[in-house]
Amino acid sequence: MSSPTSLESAAIAPASRRSRLRRWVRPWVNPVVFDFWAQRLHPTWSWERPLARLVAREQASIDSFTLWLKPNRHVGAVRPGQHFNVSAEIDGAAVTRSYSLSHLPRADGCLAITVKAIEGGKLSSHLCHDLSLGARLGLSPAFGDMALPAQPSGRWLFLAAGSGITPLACLTRELAARDMPVELDLVYWARCRDELCFIDALRALEAAHPRLRVHVALTREPGAMQPGEARGRIDEALLQDLVGPLDGRQVFACGPDGFVDRARQLLAARSESFQAEAFTPPQPAVDESGTVEVRLAASGRTLRLPRGVSLLEALEAEGLRPRHGCRMGLCNTCACEKPAGIVRHLPSGELVREPMSSLRLCIHGAASDLTINL
Amino acid sequence: MTAKSKSRALGGEELERFGAELDALRARTVATLGQRDADYIRRVVKAVRYIDVAGRALLYVGAIGGAFVNWLFWPACVLGVLLIAVGKILENMEVGHNVIHGQYDWMGDPHLNGKTYEWDIVATSENWRKTHNFRHHTYTNIRGLDDDIGYGLLRIFPEQRWRPFYLLQPLIAPLFALLFEWGIAIQDLKFGRLFAGKTTLRKMKRALSAVGRKMRRQIVKDYLIFPLLAGPFFLPVLLGNVAANLIRNLWTWVVIFCGHFTTDVETFPKEVIRNETRGHWYLRQLRGSANIGGGRLMNLMTGNLSHQIEHHFYPDIPANRYAAMAVEVREICERYGQHYDTGSLPRQFGQVVWRILRHAFPSRPRLRLRLEQAVAQRA
Repeated sequence: MSSPTSLESAAIAPASRRSRLRRWVRPWVNPVVFDFWAQRLHPTWSWERPLARLVAREQASIDSFTLWLKPNRHVGAVRPGQHFNVSAEIDGAAVTRSYSLSHLPRADGCLAITVKAIEGGKLSSHLCHDLSLGARLGLSPAFGDMALPAQPSGRWLFLAAGSGITPLACLTRELAARDMPVELDLVYWARCRDELCFIDALRALEAAHPRLRVHVALTREPGAMQPGEARGRIDEALLQDLVGPLDGRQVFACGPDGFVDRARQLLAARSESFQAEAFTPPQPAVDESGTVEVRLAASGRTLRLPRGVSLLEALEAEGLRPRHGCRMGLCNTCACEKPAGIVRHLPSGELVREPMSSLRLCIHGAASDLTINL
Repeated sequence: MTAKSKSRALGGEELERFGAELDALRARTVATLGQRDADYIRRVVKAVRYIDVAGRALLYVGAIGGAFVNWLFWPACVLGVLLIAVGKILENMEVGHNVIHGQYDWMGDPHLNGKTYEWDIVATSENWRKTHNFRHHTYTNIRGLDDDIGYGLLRIFPEQRWRPFYLLQPLIAPLFALLFEWGIAIQDLKFGRLFAGKTTLRKMKRALSAVGRKMRRQIVKDYLIFPLLAGPFFLPVLLGNVAANLIRNLWTWVVIFCGHFTTDVETFPKEVIRNETRGHWYLRQLRGSANIGGGRLMNLMTGNLSHQIEHHFYPDIPANRYAAMAVEVREICERYGQHYDTGSLPRQFGQVVWRILRHAFPSRPRLRLRLEQAVAQRA
């Protein structure tokens, strides 16, 4: 799953724990120099950066691949249902997206993500087609609140659409590993049969665990439906057809914005609990005027700021005094990380859509809702 | 001859076209930033690391091995010191200075980030970002705003008020050159303000603490830990490190002084920044900077400050692009009849030395006109 909206959580998460020895040595170590020499010996050795190596890549559907990554110790633990940022260098620049864990971590610590090669998707096509085995990737510590309770019980319903299957498949695997303590219905929407990821593995789990039922719904499959498949988008009738009475379930929904909204309307009010994760399309349209919501990640404030003026001026109009210098984009004093959102480079009018990139407050204006590390 | 007579006065509209052409060159270059720039800076970083290790190893070979095999001492020590100095020059100028400008921020590499990079010199990156990236680059050669004009110590321009103290500058300047890194380190503290009663000792102490930490770190690293690794042969290693730092200081001083203190370079009164247009800003950068001619080796060893003019036009564009951009910048300046100050290192440095000697004594600006014209140009 790629969810640019949740990138920021990792950006401000604390780095991994440090031992007393490390704390003592720390003032005398220059991480830049340390990493240089450490990486002559091993590609993912680092003083404090979470890094990983691509160790295997398997096809998961017609257009998706599962990547097995061997992380270094700074990545830390990743729970099923969580995601982490993955960055690869493409044409000299790091491109970062977040992906959820799609399989249980292997005994050797390897983590799996399942990536759909989106047409025009910079990172996804790079990960699926170009990245060679053994290549180094930047990672982040894991983040995300979707997780299993310590003692799962009751009747559960997982609703997954498209790439939204990855965290839910992982949670399903986790439940299966704990001998399926709940009644679980997993409904998985895809456009057509070829696009279903790890469907054989899910069917195998279903066969092994009587309390797990896997349902597939296809929205644009040209051929006839097969047993265990239904046709159509998410609605009351389809859901009832597939899983029976809907009231009183613990629901997890994951998919595109529209899908999650629909699921929430249908179920939130009558479910025992409703958790959801949505991802926005990568190239949303951008308005020219009006205001946007700007979240200042470091100070925890959220402001409504106008489009079309520099962020520096807009923040100053709100009474803030962010660090700045030349006011003409030269001195880099006001440089600031932008984990999510779209900004406009005001001198050229060009949009900067790349999440997890750097901006200068004095020459960039907000174009969409935004998160900046200020 | 003055700069004025070498450059044609530009009218308002012409000045805007001049600026627009330089902006267009910026946009064309930014659009092509990519893998080769990333590869370039990583290659330089790699060279810095290996040169440093080779230099330190040779110094140990000379200091320790030389005690047993006499002929080894001088060649190994000298070569070792030169390599350490070259490593530091490359790290400070081609990596540190350029990375701290944010030239490679677009790469998203946390190790090449302008806001966090810390360089191998006693000055802190934090102070440098303020005195250099902001003040020097925004207010280039504006008297009273750009502290790099004489660094509060030397009288380089006749527009600076003469005091008897400056008679000593032929002696002070070489000392300043040798201790340049310390000068830069305390530049932002402005000790003069303390003597003038404009700040308190307590405030000064607080400002000193961060710089002090960095200084201590550098001293312990270069003058304690590395020498101690040689055990009883401590002294030659210590002296070798001192020598390497002095060489680095001297070279960076020469390069930086050639960049802004040649004969044709001008300074400006504060009024010029009122309503300064983009075109006029470029013009001020052009008239306040000078290049050093030379080939690729000169570009590398100066961190591309051999293209000081291009650097001042585009301080945030990766410096490895300046040489190529210079061809177009020169052509644009020629078309607009603007003097493009460049010359060999001996020629440029000779002019700097002359300025230091000449303006140690009372002097007056040659052309009063200059100042008024600089102001008039805004209109």
